[in-house]
Amino acid sequence: MKQHLQRQSGVANVDVSLIDGKVEVTPKEDGQIDPTQLLKATYDSGVSVAELDMTATGKIVKDTSGNLSFQVKPNQSFVIAPNELSKGLKPQVDSSTLVTVRGQLFKKPAGKQRKADAPAPLKLLILEVKKE
Amino acid sequence: MSKKHLALLLWAGCIFVPQLEAQIRHVEMRVEGMT
Repeated sequence: MKQHLQRQSGVANVDVSLIDGKVEVTPKEDGQIDPTQLLKATYDSGVSVAELDMTATGKIVKDTSGNLSFQVKPNQSFVIAPNELSKGLKPQVDSSTLVTVRGQLFKKPAGKQRKADAPAPLKLLILEVKKE
Repeated sequence: MSKKHLALLLWAGCIFVPQLEAQIRHVEMRVEGMT
């Protein structure tokens, strides 16, 4: 799996901890990494992902449907799942201020999962807003 | 401290303080079924 992930674009380093089942991915300097691709690459290597968290810097914007989104690049943004922390980010919508957040992008649903289901788009659940 | 030293200090500060850039900094996954 480590080699599989390391081949993904934008990946600088992969650290795997067999004991606690943790995989840490360090992006390259340019930060051009796609969490969806990482999820897919992990599944393709025969391992099931229970949870995916990321730390990223970006802007808070509103998408065309009016949802609060976290934009890392003009072509890479994640819809923010509403919670207490996301409410605090509302004043920063469409401002040029960059914010660094730690959030959960994927969590394996509890219970039985139908494999034929199309993967749901990733939503970012903000866990921490970092002060820079 | 002279004005020249102060200006140099400010200039050095601008260069060496890391700029905040929009990017994914770290990804962590918890996986199951890894051997």
